[in-house]
Amino acid sequence: MADITYKWHKSYTPWLFIFPTVLGLTVFRLIPIAWSFYLSFTDWNLLAKPTFIQLGNYKELLASEDFITILLNTLQFSVVYVIGSIVLGLALAVLINTKIKGISAFRAAIYLPVVTSAVAVGIVWNWILGPTYGIVNNLIEAIGITPPYWLGDPKLVLNTVASVQVWKMSGYYMIIFLAGLQNIPAETLESARVDGANHRQSFFGITLPMLSPTVFFVLTIAIIDSFKNFELIYSMTKGGPGNSSNTLVYDVYLNAFVYYRVGFASAIAYVLLIVVGLLTVANFYIRKHHTQPLD
Amino acid sequence: MKKLLTVALALLLASTLFAAGSQETASTAAPKEITLDWWTWDPSMVDQNNAIIAKFEAANPGVKITQTMVGTKEYWTKIRIQANQNKLPDVYTMSSGYVEEWAKAGLMYNLDNFVKNDDTFNVFYKSIFDVVKGISGTDSYYAIPFALVTTALYYNKDAFDAAGVAYPTNDWTWDDFRSAAKKLTIDKNNDGKIDQWGFWFYGRYAHIEPWVYANNGKLIDRTTMRFAPNQQAIDALKMLTNLVLVDKVAPPQKDMTSFQQQDVFQQGAAAMWVDGSWFVDTLRKNVGDSMRWGIVRVPSGPSGSNEMTYGWPDSYAIAPNTKNPEMAWKFARYVAGEGLGLDVYMAGKIPSAKKLAEDPMFSDPNQQPGADMNMLIAQASGPMTTSFTQGWGEWRGYGGGETLGLNGAIDAITNGQLTFDAAIKKATDSANAVLARYYK
Amino acid sequence: MTKKQETILRYVVISLVTIIYIFPFIWMISNSFMSEKNIFSVPPKFIPDLLFTNQAFDNYREVFTQYNFGRYTFNSVWVYTLAALGQIFVCSLAGFALAKMKFRGSGLVFSLLLLTLMIPVQVTIIPEYYIFMKLNWMDTYLPLIVPSFLAGGFGTFMLKEFFSQVPSALFDAGIIDGVNSYQMFSRIYMRQASGPIATLFIIAFMNNWNDLLRPMLYLSTRELYTVTVALSQFQNQYDVQWNLLLAGSVLSVLPLLLVFVFCQRYIIENTMNSGIKG
Repeated sequence: MADITYKWHKSYTPWLFIFPTVLGLTVFRLIPIAWSFYLSFTDWNLLAKPTFIQLGNYKELLASEDFITILLNTLQFSVVYVIGSIVLGLALAVLINTKIKGISAFRAAIYLPVVTSAVAVGIVWNWILGPTYGIVNNLIEAIGITPPYWLGDPKLVLNTVASVQVWKMSGYYMIIFLAGLQNIPAETLESARVDGANHRQSFFGITLPMLSPTVFFVLTIAIIDSFKNFELIYSMTKGGPGNSSNTLVYDVYLNAFVYYRVGFASAIAYVLLIVVGLLTVANFYIRKHHTQPLD
Repeated sequence: MKKLLTVALALLLASTLFAAGSQETASTAAPKEITLDWWTWDPSMVDQNNAIIAKFEAANPGVKITQTMVGTKEYWTKIRIQANQNKLPDVYTMSSGYVEEWAKAGLMYNLDNFVKNDDTFNVFYKSIFDVVKGISGTDSYYAIPFALVTTALYYNKDAFDAAGVAYPTNDWTWDDFRSAAKKLTIDKNNDGKIDQWGFWFYGRYAHIEPWVYANNGKLIDRTTMRFAPNQQAIDALKMLTNLVLVDKVAPPQKDMTSFQQQDVFQQGAAAMWVDGSWFVDTLRKNVGDSMRWGIVRVPSGPSGSNEMTYGWPDSYAIAPNTKNPEMAWKFARYVAGEGLGLDVYMAGKIPSAKKLAEDPMFSDPNQQPGADMNMLIAQASGPMTTSFTQGWGEWRGYGGGETLGLNGAIDAITNGQLTFDAAIKKATDSANAVLARYYK
Repeated sequence: MTKKQETILRYVVISLVTIIYIFPFIWMISNSFMSEKNIFSVPPKFIPDLLFTNQAFDNYREVFTQYNFGRYTFNSVWVYTLAALGQIFVCSLAGFALAKMKFRGSGLVFSLLLLTLMIPVQVTIIPEYYIFMKLNWMDTYLPLIVPSFLAGGFGTFMLKEFFSQVPSALFDAGIIDGVNSYQMFSRIYMRQASGPIATLFIIAFMNNWNDLLRPMLYLSTRELYTVTVALSQFQNQYDVQWNLLLAGSVLSVLPLLLVFVFCQRYIIENTMNSGIKG
């Protein structure tokens, strides 16, 4: 940014600009969040008054083996989702960033799963990945390999669900990457081409570095989104078999809306918040110290 | 862009006014008018309920009923918050799974006086009222049951005929059942994959408990309020899981993940199925005439009496602080069956109102399963049990948590992930951790 | 490889990819023309049994007549259009201030916004419900509109990122012209932002459109239902009417697709002078 002495805005102007946001943030977000924080120290079934139990919920969490499993599941899901989304989203964006005929129809088609309800997506994939008659397993069998239980094998199920989530959401990241790609001046790429760079060289040498703000943005959003996996898990596996595809968000749902242990659910939520918060801080740190500014 | 923003801002203001306006719809009541709030949880019933309200309002001038319909999943969250704020609706739907918790928390109107001073049991079956009382763990009537649901063995007549097996009867033994299941497990095209299983189940409550009770089993020790399956219950679980592991007449749970659970039987992938009696309605609608099917009692085990049924009522409760208890009682009786026709009942749910249950059209001969429906009426008047406790959904593994608890443990056995003993031990430990929170 | 071969290859690859993405939707459409007993058959049936009969549109007809789907679609469209427009307005103001103005507390506001983005709705919904109950907003559209309006963490984040990347030459030109802050915002920065705003509109509209929990908890008058609540009517305590649910699901996706196709043109507008040639 240019260094300026000319004051183009008054000292209170920024507050005018952000006033509606700050108001909404406080009333609709911060108050409920603070309230949940208080609830995480209580035992509350929604019916009676909350009972204050100090660190009871957190102690119960840390003593629970299942909780460790769920925490690790959550991280595994996120890793698969974030890497998958960025690679696939970028690949799709590059693939369709072209002006051939009918490209908007193709874009819309790839975007379809994003807007399709998770319930429908879950049902269809359960059916495609079905053990005996599923299309995928029939194809695998046709080449003479014993197909796995995509959703019945505790070792596989989490990756299966995470992959379906990647498939569902990659069109969304594609759009964001597409917007980023189109901000790269054509002249830059053209001149690289004139200098004899091939596709791969110009992609890794020019496109990717120029895209780094977008990559960072997508990374941040993908990390945050990777924890919001409730709907697909609900419609595909309900967290099973056992706890094998249970995640923190799903566990929050179970405790708050199935078992009505609202205090306990809030404690799980705060553990989740700490995990996401740490990852996001790390992400910002890396950006600050490892990427070069544009211009 | 500036223009766009102006338009957006104008629209925004207009909409805020519009949206705010819609809350003014609550009518300003005439002085003597009584208004009752009625909450229910089945969105597919909105129209039928409006018709019922219109009839009731016509018969009771000056009474106005407002219906609030909440989806089944959100219903409990929303009504719990209402209860917490002392704003329970006058009449609301109550599930057997929560009767005990709500009765003990004083969130339902004690109906004893109404029940006693009215001709209640001329109109309704006392036995069904008593089931709710039993589940509530109190000595009072807190809810008015409108329907009883039980469980039944569904069988595919076409499959039985094709395999040359005689249809099940109400006095079938477990051996009869297993030998039929063996004959009905068929690989039709010899590709090494079973195309029709004799039977199918997973850890779901309505798949398992009927067998436990049909063998005089108990899952809960009611004196200590702990999960302690007795030998009869263990025998039932062992018999079921052995259908998968030893007899190989039923698939493990992991083989059926591509199905919606209610579709396995409908699509002919299993010739027999045990689940709630409400699926009579589903089968009538979905299967039509393309498959012939029937229902019988779940076969009694070697220690069973051929009497005990797994069944529970759905009820209406009245808010403890309602301003018009008499009218609320009158309306609750009305919607619990007194004012209804059989057509508003989901087929397979047994009305608690005598005139409806005894209506010959309950076992409509022109619809499947015809006279088999009488078995449900017989069950309704016999002894009945459940395992509902506070925290049931959690230890049992129900709804969104069905891969955990007892449900998850049973699936782990059939999927070969845990041995029978290890799974039962795991289920016992986790169930008792839950129960210990509710029953000190 | 010649240019022509390259184009053909690209077509082939794009088509293959598209099939993978579109297949489940095709399945939904095909099943929405089936009677309930044929849905989910295993092994699957691909040709709908109702198609080519006079009952072909039965499921759709039932969804529209018996379940009043048109009304609910209209409700969702206007409610969520407003919510998205409001979000764009408020977020662009905030995003601009956070990106271009230096003031104490900006870091705090931005961090808090990001924080709220991370919290899943299941965590805060119960306190939120109490707030709306106290505000007496139950059974109105306000809980669906106002929070999305005022507390769009994602939109603010996205537009802040965008505004920070706008070439500083434009900013300097504004300074030279002596514009004030409002002119800087509306005449210089917002003019550049049609792409991100269209993207934000798609995302905000879509996120709200698919939200089930809030409308389910806050709306009880039937005339006010949104599409997602209407879809839940096909599921009762024990069972799901899949044929209607799928027909309804297909219908509920169409407005989103329209929004996408419409907004896409704005996103691609930028391409005119910068398209990468294949």
